[in-house]
Amino acid sequence: MKKALRTGVIREYDMHSLPVRIGYAAIYVLCFVMVVFAVFPLLWVVLAGFKDLREFMSSTDILPRSFSLAPFLKTWNQLGIAKNYLNSLISVAGSVVCALIFNGLLGYGLAILKPKGYGVVKKLVLFSLLVPPTISIVPLFMNIQHLRLGNSFVPLWLSYGANAMYVVLFIQFFESLPYSMIEASRIDGCSPLQTFFRIVLPLSKPICAVVAIFAINASWSDFLLPYLVLRGGPLQTVMVRLFVFSTEQTVNADAMMRSVVFSMIPPIILFVIFQKQLTDNAVSTGIKG
Amino acid sequence: MNKQARGISPHGKRAESLKAWLIMLPGLLLMSFFVWEPLLESIRMSLYKTENIELVEFVGLRNFISVMGKTNFTQALANTFAYTFWSLLIGFFLPILLAMLIGETVRGKGFFRTAAYLPNMLPGLAVIILWSAFFSGEKSGVLNILLSRVGVPRQSFLTRADLVVPIIISIATWKGAGATALIYMAGMASVNPELYEAAAIDGASVWQRVIHILLPSIKKLAGTLLILQIISVFQIMYEPMVLTKGGPDNASLSLMQLMWQYAFGGSMDYGKASAVAVIVTVILLAMTLVYTYFNNKESDWD
Repeated sequence: MKKALRTGVIREYDMHSLPVRIGYAAIYVLCFVMVVFAVFPLLWVVLAGFKDLREFMSSTDILPRSFSLAPFLKTWNQLGIAKNYLNSLISVAGSVVCALIFNGLLGYGLAILKPKGYGVVKKLVLFSLLVPPTISIVPLFMNIQHLRLGNSFVPLWLSYGANAMYVVLFIQFFESLPYSMIEASRIDGCSPLQTFFRIVLPLSKPICAVVAIFAINASWSDFLLPYLVLRGGPLQTVMVRLFVFSTEQTVNADAMMRSVVFSMIPPIILFVIFQKQLTDNAVSTGIKG
Repeated sequence: MNKQARGISPHGKRAESLKAWLIMLPGLLLMSFFVWEPLLESIRMSLYKTENIELVEFVGLRNFISVMGKTNFTQALANTFAYTFWSLLIGFFLPILLAMLIGETVRGKGFFRTAAYLPNMLPGLAVIILWSAFFSGEKSGVLNILLSRVGVPRQSFLTRADLVVPIIISIATWKGAGATALIYMAGMASVNPELYEAAAIDGASVWQRVIHILLPSIKKLAGTLLILQIISVFQIMYEPMVLTKGGPDNASLSLMQLMWQYAFGGSMDYGKASAVAVIVTVILLAMTLVYTYFNNKESDWD
């Protein structure tokens, strides 16, 4: 590893100058300040979760009096979060499958097959990047109601099969694949669909991983469309519950903080496992998910 | 077999083209249902009086007139531009600065990158609720706890009209700035370090190298991220909804939140909600056009 290589503006040669060395120390100080800023709120919410309501409202200490897990368990059971967790997992699983298959196939068509007239579709997809998805949430919700798809995961799953950002990621990756291999499989008599599953997909594990991680995190965190589709019903996800708690103020402040902790656990696990891929990816593709 | 191998006969070509369209069909149907059709539908709906989920009567521009005539619209419009202004002030330069700082580190670079990215992974809703506890006006609000340690009396942050917008933008920046910084780092990495070396030998100071080499390397990227940032600021909706309910006195009400209120805030006035959505879309498209006009040398999107 060439890890200790200096790649920035400041060169080894500058380090002989005292002002530069002081400035360099200041850079490290600022970086540590950033780390504290990024991590402290998270740490605080976990600590706050250990406090009961009275302590939460009256204590002016950051640290809780005791580190017993009992308050967490109590909130988990009282609010029935386990069921919401299960719902969230089902919602996430279907969303990831849809995100990979439908966006992948569309990207394959636009990047490799390129049938006559594909340019128009590609322009439409790129244009869609510029339109915030919530802007058309009202007619979308009405369409879903017209099809009587309320209180079901199906519209939520399928909505992840229509993500312009993921399509663009697939297009960019597929365009970098060696065309000769695709051509060869075609000459060997593979249909376009066979070529996709036998040649293109096995070569595309990196981009599939990226899209999968983004889709997992996005569908876990999503709550606007899920709230409209699932509200009041038995299929509410963790984030939908949290949204209801926060807008209707039906739970106490301490239980609210513990629910926030519950909602952050899966994304943090995902982050711990895939932190290298995630940060490398933001650096290499310029997409932050 | 032979025909396929050459792949040039008109019949084979048409069949291949058809197959390709069939492969794209599911994705196209979903894009139509979830993205393109709703966008067009919101234009149509904005011209109708709605009842429940049905369009009942064509009313022309009456929805627009009614929506724009109310003071909460002018307020929301002004607030949305205030959000944009604060977001450019706070949220645009911070990622560039962070990227420059992290980019200069040698030891611990991976650690800093990871820490910077972490908040971006957290669910946006959880982040807002978490920060609402920080800015809470109670004495148990975290910021009040910290301020009381240095002797500042208890403050009520979220009921101050002049503070709510910058606070909401700060929270959004806390979540997104680190991840954006990593994108800038990618742009900065395109500069060969030997260039800095050469400039240094020619006598360019560190500061001169930043101004003349580093910053120009991210100019185009910064333009793209700027327009994406403006688009995402225009989406601000659940942040004020959860943190302040648009208050105090509509001081943090955003346009999208106004749309949500018309549609789901009890009155179920989907026509007026769509009118607001169309207005936001027009503003966004106008801004994008202005941006592409000034940036027409080369497009990033193709």
